[in-house]
This record gives sequence, structure tokens and C-alpha cells, in this order.
Amino acid sequence: MTHRERFIKTLKCEKIGGQVPTFELVFFLTMEAFGKVHPSHRYYEQWNQMSMEEKTLQIRDMADLYIDTAKKYGHSAIFVHPNPGGVENTQWLLETIREKSGDEFFLMMHGDPTWAIPDGDHMMDFAARMYEEPEKLNEESRRRLDRSIEFAAQLDQKGHLLDGFALCSDYCFNVNPFFSPDQFDELIVPFLKEVIAEYRKMGYYTIKHTDGNIMPIVKQMADCKPDAIHSLDPQGGVDMTRVREIIGDQIALIGNVNCGLLQTGTDEECRQDVLRSLRQGMAAGKGYVFATSNCVYTGLSLKRYEMMLDIWKQYGNYDHPAF
Amino acid sequence: MVSLTEISELLQKGKAKLVKELVTQALEEGTDPRDILNEGLLSGMMIVGEKFKKNEVFVPEVLVAARAMNAGITILEPKLVEVGNEPVGKAVIATVKGDLHDIGKNLVAMMLKGAGFEVIDLGVDADAESLVNKAEEVGADVICMSALLTTTMPNMKACIDLLKERGLRDKYIVMVGGAPVNQAFADQIGADFYTPDAATAATTARDAVQAKK
Repeated sequence: MTHRERFIKTLKCEKIGGQVPTFELVFFLTMEAFGKVHPSHRYYEQWNQMSMEEKTLQIRDMADLYIDTAKKYGHSAIFVHPNPGGVENTQWLLETIREKSGDEFFLMMHGDPTWAIPDGDHMMDFAARMYEEPEKLNEESRRRLDRSIEFAAQLDQKGHLLDGFALCSDYCFNVNPFFSPDQFDELIVPFLKEVIAEYRKMGYYTIKHTDGNIMPIVKQMADCKPDAIHSLDPQGGVDMTRVREIIGDQIALIGNVNCGLLQTGTDEECRQDVLRSLRQGMAAGKGYVFATSNCVYTGLSLKRYEMMLDIWKQYGNYDHPAF
Repeated sequence: MVSLTEISELLQKGKAKLVKELVTQALEEGTDPRDILNEGLLSGMMIVGEKFKKNEVFVPEVLVAARAMNAGITILEPKLVEVGNEPVGKAVIATVKGDLHDIGKNLVAMMLKGAGFEVIDLGVDADAESLVNKAEEVGADVICMSALLTTTMPNMKACIDLLKERGLRDKYIVMVGGAPVNQAFADQIGADFYTPDAATAATTARDAVQAKK
């Protein structure tokens, strides 16, 4: 099986045997690992001024970097961050990745139309609107939803090179969700459910990401039927065993290795955390993708990430269970 | 006669316009502005904070309550100045250098105001020097630092180190918080308090200032 096939079977919660798949939402340490700036950190102000040859070189370089990252670290999926964005450039990047790597990797990108926690400048206004004009917030959600579906449809019509969408609106703080369960039902659930259903109709898989303590709303998230839930943030007290008890074994789990600890813990603390995560994730024998509880972000120690992967290589194999 | 309990209850429900109206009316009736502040606005905000700590209310409810409190305080402030009302304490707050996340920091600032603090908010990306300088300038009691990134957490220590370097460490109560921060880290860098949420930060700051005085 290719990485893509193994990843898809994992999203379907089918048994795959062998090594547990892994991937990261973002691997920002490309300068350290490959001597290249991450595509998201490139600033293409003069994109439209570039010759076709120059644009092609840029696109091919970004495609190479995504593929090299996946190959070097054993990732089964590539999260593409098209830069510049738009349907045409996205399609071009996807075509180039497919041309260079065939169907080896599962390809995904952003696609969440639901509200996230607003930033500090807007949260007061947003909270007021939640009480005073929820219907207007829902009208905005509807427009965003329509745009997301339209974008997905355009990619679908151009050959369906993308496999899925990561829905990355953050809903939760460490302590609790931003939205109460009732507000989540009113402002998020209808749109989350619909966008997932519409993506699925077009053949796309969905991974719902949010940081923080998802436990008060995890059942509601699961009822929207994403293929997987990502992050499972231990800093927010999320326990994979408990999540499994609540949502069952038909939604895949991704993440859970404590990012904070990778940055600040000792080698032994990290090792124990990675082993705990593997043990809990592999317990069902399926439906689990090994990953950090966020991403490989700027400033994280590459050595620590590589140590995490070394432990995964040693212990993350369904055929040779170490637990 | 306006009931201060009613002001408190309306604040808890986030009814900013009504809070503003009742505060205005209470002042016209000759109620002491300090009573309106303490028994109406701050008491309401403290109840919201306690409910938040117990997970009985969520952040949006805290935010609309804070908005209602601000509406009342806008009316009250000139009168409080006239009677020489003193805040519980002064807190300088910021998200530390290199970090642009402001949600948690703003929530703490809001809850500190709700606990009766005068809050000097330096915003985001604040270096140790600006935090310490501002604390000295305004005569702060508390320095609150927030970080969302593990990569910026060390800048909290930089502030504490600067306080030590200038011989000011014992002058201030230093509090830290943010998603990746925990008690062990707070102990490691020598902060006085770590709190896991905004409401606890406010009560901890208030108790610490009162204990110090």
C-alpha cells in the first residue's frame, strides 16, 4: 500500500497493520532540515510580475519541499498551504506534487468555514453579536460555507487531485471551549455538519482540528461526522482513551504528543509522553495517526522532533506491539 | 431607589444598556459611587468569575458581562475620581516579546478590572524592559505576563531576571499564564503565581495584593 492508501484506510478506521501513519499539519523547520524557506513564509508580492518560467520554478520548488519533507520524516500526508492562494495556483501546486510523487501521499489543505475563537481585538464584539444577532453570524457562516463548497467543487472538477480538507478553526482554550455547548450547537454544528457532508459527497475526507480542551463539545464535533479529529491537546487535558469512549471507534484520532513538553521538557519526559501517546492511540489497533498536538512550529527543536519520530519508528508498529 | 443587587444581576446577564441606565439613576439618587462600584459592578463581575472557574459559564458570557461593567464604569469613573476612590491595586499586563497572541491576556485584563484593579495593558510583543519600566512608572503592584508559544515563554524569565538585576524583584507580584505555561515552569523561572484561567488570575492577584498590604 502507498502512504496515501494507508492514510485513507486509517481515516476509515480500517486495520492496516505495520507502522502507524504519521504526518504534521505544518512542518515549519524546512530551513534547518533542507536549507529552504517554508512555502507559507515566502512573500510573493511580485508573483503576477513573474515570467511563467519563474513561476514554474517557484511552484516546483515548493512541491519538492513538501515531498522531501514527507519522504524524510515518513509522513503519509502532505498539508498543502498554497502560496499564492486561489484556485488556479492551488491546482497548479497540486498537479506538480502529483506529477512528482504520483499518488504516494494523501494531499489536504485548509477548508473550514466555521467560526473560530476571535482574536483579542474582536472577541468582545463577537461575543456581543452572539447574544444580540446570532442570526447574522449564521448568515455570515452560510456565505463562508458556500464559498468553501464552491472552492472544493472547482478543485473537484479539475481532476480531484486533493484528497481532503483540514478544518482548522480553533474552538477551545486549555480550560474550556470558547463556545458553550448550547452556543456551539447554534453557531457551529449546523455549518460544520453541512460542510463535512458536502465535502464527503465530492469524495473529500475531512479532519477536524482544534486545540485546547475539546471534551465538553467532542461528542457534538463527532456527531458532525468528520473522518478524524486532530490535535487532542494534552495541554488541554484531552485523553485519547476517554475520547474513544465518548466518540466510538469510527472516527480516527490524530495528534496528542505534547508540543509544550517537546519544547520545554527533558528528553525522558518527552520519551514517556510519546510512549503514552502511542500506547493510547494504538490501543484500538486502527484509526490512529501519530502526530504532535499541534504542528512542528517555528522555534521547536528539530532534534526533539526527530527524537519523537525515532520512538515512533521503534514502538509505533501494529505488527510488533511493544505495549 | 435603584437596587445595587439588580445592577449586579443585570451585569451578570450582560445587559450593558440597562446597567448604564441604572448606574446613572443610582448616582442621581445620591448613592455613593464606591457602593455602586463595589456592590453593583464588581460584585457582579466576581460572581461571573466564580461561575467561570466552575465551568458554569463560558468566555462569551464573561465578555458580555465585562462589556456591561465597562458601560457602568464609564458613567461612574468621574464620580469615583471626585471621591478619591482607590483601586484594589495596579497591574501592568502584556503578552511577552515575540508573541502576538492577545486573547488570554485580554481576558485576564478584563477580569482584573472586574476585580477592581487599574490595569495598564502594554499589548503584545512587550519586552522585559518595557514591562519593568512601565511598572516603575505607574507604581504597579502586579506584573502579569502571558505567552501562547513555548518559544516565547523564556521571555517571562527575562523580565524576572531584569527585576532581579535592578533590585526590584520583591517589589512586584509577578504572575504568568498562557496555554503552554504551568506551575512547574512558573516555579522554574521564579514567578510568584501561575494561574490556569483569567478568573483565577484576578482573584489570585487581588488576594496577593491584599496580603502584601
